[in-house]
Amino acid sequence: MIAGPRLFSILRQGTCLIASIHTALDDSQLVRFQHDLIATIGRDRARGVVIDVAALDVLDSFATCTLRDIGNMARLRGAATVIVGIQPEVAIAMVRLGLSTGVVETALDLEEGLALLDGRTAGSPDGRR
Amino acid sequence: MPAPAPADSSPEPRGPLDVAALIPIVRRIVAARVPDRATADDLVQETLARVLAAVERIEPGMVEPYAIVTARNVVATMWRDQDRQRRHQHRVVDLRPPQLPDEDVLAQEDRAAMAEALTRLSERERSTLLAHEVSGQDTHSLAAELGSTAGAVAAQLNRTRARLRVEYLLAADRVEPSTPRCRPVLLALSSGDRRRQREVDAARHLLECELCARLSEPLMGRGRSRDDEVRVAVRADADVVAARQAARELAARLGFPPTDLTEIATAVSEVVRNIVRFADAGEVLVELLDSPRRGIRITARDSGPGIPDVQEALRDGYSTYRGLGLGLPGARRLMDEFAVASEPGRGTTVTMTKWREDR
Repeated sequence: MIAGPRLFSILRQGTCLIASIHTALDDSQLVRFQHDLIATIGRDRARGVVIDVAALDVLDSFATCTLRDIGNMARLRGAATVIVGIQPEVAIAMVRLGLSTGVVETALDLEEGLALLDGRTAGSPDGRR
Repeated sequence: MPAPAPADSSPEPRGPLDVAALIPIVRRIVAARVPDRATADDLVQETLARVLAAVERIEPGMVEPYAIVTARNVVATMWRDQDRQRRHQHRVVDLRPPQLPDEDVLAQEDRAAMAEALTRLSERERSTLLAHEVSGQDTHSLAAELGSTAGAVAAQLNRTRARLRVEYLLAADRVEPSTPRCRPVLLALSSGDRRRQREVDAARHLLECELCARLSEPLMGRGRSRDDEVRVAVRADADVVAARQAARELAARLGFPPTDLTEIATAVSEVVRNIVRFADAGEVLVELLDSPRRGIRITARDSGPGIPDVQEALRDGYSTYRGLGLGLPGARRLMDEFAVASEPGRGTTVTMTKWREDR
């Protein structure tokens, strides 16, 4: 792990994890983010994950692909994923590039994202609370 | 100075002087005033030498007092000298660095290389250059002699200097360029002529040719330094982020709207990632353009394996690694102009431009 400010943080909020990316990540840092997050989902028995990308000024094909992978992996581990905070310019660039988040859901901001997950985890048949 | 009393304590017969007998007292006097042993010994020697020199003139029995006074005077003189030296020390500080032992040899090699470089110029170039630089002849009178204009002479002098720099570097290194492209590339770099550098594809040659990459280092700063372009060397993942941030910053200076900035940064990210993925090393050049319109051009070069089928690579979904296959075609959609030139085994150059909408 390199020294310096943390590039991302993964915090627990009830049964959800809030994963915030603080700064532009390069490809290997994105891969590390993916590994850390998937590991944390198992360790904390999280039912939902909110990925906050509001700090990112670019979501290129690799970043989008990584986020989609995270969503798919989290689902296989029993957690729902919501991506929140995609900036308007980023959204435009993504669409023009031909990118989408695929089956992974998105919400405008953290509040909306948590609300979405709440409905999702509460409504699921095996929801614990 | 009053002479000390014990003159009569050593009734000395006239004749050969017993200098050795004076040593203890002189040494005591000097040692009481000068703590440093070596200096004290020197002063004792000097005192004895003076006493010996004057012994003919000294009255009998007065040798010892004479030696004592002499010793005091010698010490006082030394103090005075030291004081004067201290007061004047600032005047003798030599600010020139001490000459290094190899300086001479290096200077000789330098001269030899310069002489060799001069012989490689044409007769006309050499004589004009020497007349101007060494004899100080101005361009007007040179122009009159050569039947030309001052401006043309100045331009020719500039070209000659550029050539001289290249030939000097080659001569100093005792190498001959390995390919016929080396010399034109180095010349273009030396003259700082960007258009010529583009024509000879200097940046690509520097990636390929180790010799030129090394030789061109002192030439790189030449030419007017421009703040409307940025170069980013690309070797690792982190450089992708650096390149796209550099492009965004430069584009922001031109007043691109935020949407365009993000599109530019995203396109740079896609294209530069390909360098990291497929080639060992590359370079991204971001330039602001003024004509025909204001815009930004990004040139991403690598010396990698090249793309076997460019048309195929520009098709959506074409991917040779675990990606979405949207890199190149996606970048093309984000930019206004997009061109890929690739030679298998030699590398790939992607040039893309975005124009600023004038509203």
